[in-house]
Amino acid sequence: MAVKTAVKEKEKERRAIITVRNLSVEYRTHRGIVKAVRNVSFDVYEGEILFLVGESGSGKSTLGFALMNLVPSPGYIKEGEIIYHLDGQDIELRKLPLEEQRLFRWKQVAMVFQSALNALNPVLRIWDQLYDTIQAHDPNITREEAYKKIKYLLSMVRLDADRVLKSYPHELSGGMRQRVMIAMALLLDPKILILDEPTTALDILTQKNIIELLKKIKDELGLTMIFITHDLSLAAELADRVAVMYAGKILELSDVYTIFYNPKHPYTYALIKTIPKLTSIDEELYPIPGSPPDMINLPPGCKFHPRCPYAKEICTEKEPEFEQAGPNHYVACHRWRELKFER
Amino acid sequence: MSFKSVVGKIYRNFLVRRILRAFGVIFVTSTLTFFIIRLMPSNPIEIFINQMMAAYGMSYQDAKALALALFTIDLDKPLHQQYIEYLINLFQGNLGRSISISPGTPVMDIILAFLPWTLFSVSISILASFVLGVITGIIAAYRRGGLFDKVMSTFAAIISAIPGYLIGILIIVFIGVQYGLINYMRGAYSAGIRPGFNLQFISDVFLHLAAPFATYVLSTFGGWMLSMKASTISTLGEDYVTVAKAKGLPESRIRTQYVGRNAILPLFTSLAIQLGFIFGGSVLIENIFVYRGVGRLLWSSINARDYTVMQAVFLIITISVVVSNLLADLIYGLIDPRVRVGE
Repeated sequence: MAVKTAVKEKEKERRAIITVRNLSVEYRTHRGIVKAVRNVSFDVYEGEILFLVGESGSGKSTLGFALMNLVPSPGYIKEGEIIYHLDGQDIELRKLPLEEQRLFRWKQVAMVFQSALNALNPVLRIWDQLYDTIQAHDPNITREEAYKKIKYLLSMVRLDADRVLKSYPHELSGGMRQRVMIAMALLLDPKILILDEPTTALDILTQKNIIELLKKIKDELGLTMIFITHDLSLAAELADRVAVMYAGKILELSDVYTIFYNPKHPYTYALIKTIPKLTSIDEELYPIPGSPPDMINLPPGCKFHPRCPYAKEICTEKEPEFEQAGPNHYVACHRWRELKFER
Repeated sequence: MSFKSVVGKIYRNFLVRRILRAFGVIFVTSTLTFFIIRLMPSNPIEIFINQMMAAYGMSYQDAKALALALFTIDLDKPLHQQYIEYLINLFQGNLGRSISISPGTPVMDIILAFLPWTLFSVSISILASFVLGVITGIIAAYRRGGLFDKVMSTFAAIISAIPGYLIGILIIVFIGVQYGLINYMRGAYSAGIRPGFNLQFISDVFLHLAAPFATYVLSTFGGWMLSMKASTISTLGEDYVTVAKAKGLPESRIRTQYVGRNAILPLFTSLAIQLGFIFGGSVLIENIFVYRGVGRLLWSSINARDYTVMQAVFLIITISVVVSNLLADLIYGLIDPRVRVGE
């Protein structure tokens, strides 16, 4: 009971830091238009860790780039609003002049990328890549001040500054590069951190270390984090809330407890069943049959219906609305009321 | 430390090994040219005799007597003996004397008279073509799909498909003849002018450079532009460029330090190889414009079967190609930290 009141208490404080409304992102390709993100709406609350979970191609990374208005060419934001609520102001990044957008990025929202080898410029030393970030936002900063800040952050991610700063990216290990990226992301004390599969390219032990590091950063700095991953078990470990994405849409959004113990969407349930459990030896894994849809020729109705064991006629005809299924629980399924999943 | 281990240690040094190898290549190539040019049909004396008979109506005996009086070379010596003499002279830095194009003149003097003109014209042209190609390539990549890109890429593809000598002839016909500028397309400077360090001579030299320069640049610029465009486009898709944008770096820094520096790397190798051919000049283009460079010297020495001059020109080309490849390896290590050679 005490836990429940604490949760309620926390909910009262919740204040949206990003509001996303009706966002659509497309890529123009030779084969046709790829609708990577389709009419997505959600809020990100201040201080939370929101997980965007989905298979590859579900549009989760595109959504991350769209938040910074950096959708890579030939992609573009077709419509929708992304509003940041910072320092009592409502800022719509896309409407700002380019120079202000530049200064907004990294100062307010920073990003950690999947592969830290490709994310660092191979011909510049780590020092140059950290220093130019500071300098771009504060041209008058002295080298000494910048060095102090950089050294502090590198020690926070447990790197030896004097060794790392002189190195080129290829001279560092994968884990060290990812730590450098994290330090770089924290360099300007951003309010929001987007992490795009930050552990995917790393071996299992390094993954563990990075996760521990991210937990520590969360506790110490209280940032808002948007964590993009295909790994639902990571969400169980870190997330406050989870948004499950499929074919460019959010199918289910709720707090992590509800997602794992009371999922309403068959896809969420199927995803949970794909996670191997440590506690049972001979339990079978249940892969989801079929493969993600072709993003150029999407099936009609609910995009998951060709793979859904519970699909009915209505699922093939009409795309379900994103409805409220409980306090802070939203689901896009025609049959969420009837379906009961066993654990 | 035994002798063997000392030798082994020296050999393991990258630079020493490369230099030793370079000497090996030069030795093998000059040996091959020595024999190959002597396998060509006819020989300098026969060609001289035929010329004398045709030009002055001399009898064969008279012409042969004249030839023997003029030429110091004895071609009846066994080939291996000639070869050993050639090697001994070479090690003493003696390239021998010209046989027939300027009988008795030391080959070194002839080379020194022709080489500066080639160095001057070809190096200016290659560098201009490289710089021009790289800049238009970057612009085309940034505006890919736009008008500038379409026009320049088509132009570059067409122009690099036309052989240089054809472009030269077209320039002579359509500019030289039409506009009466043909006098500036003959030789390295006007016949009546005394070479010296004065404005009249220098401007005359540059006027005579214009046509071969345009030919060189037009025939090579397209290749540079197209490779720079391709390289820039692939660099623009790299994660570190997206990171640089996300970091809020100013566009100018992204363009130079993140895109430009990485995109130009693959072009440096080809530039270094090109620079090796500066010393060889271009036989066809120098002949079209009667430009007094090494290429033209090579042409006339081949026609006269002037073995010693041919040997010397080929030797210079070999050395310069080998040296520039060596420099390319060393310089590449400076500009790309990933291939920096360890001890």
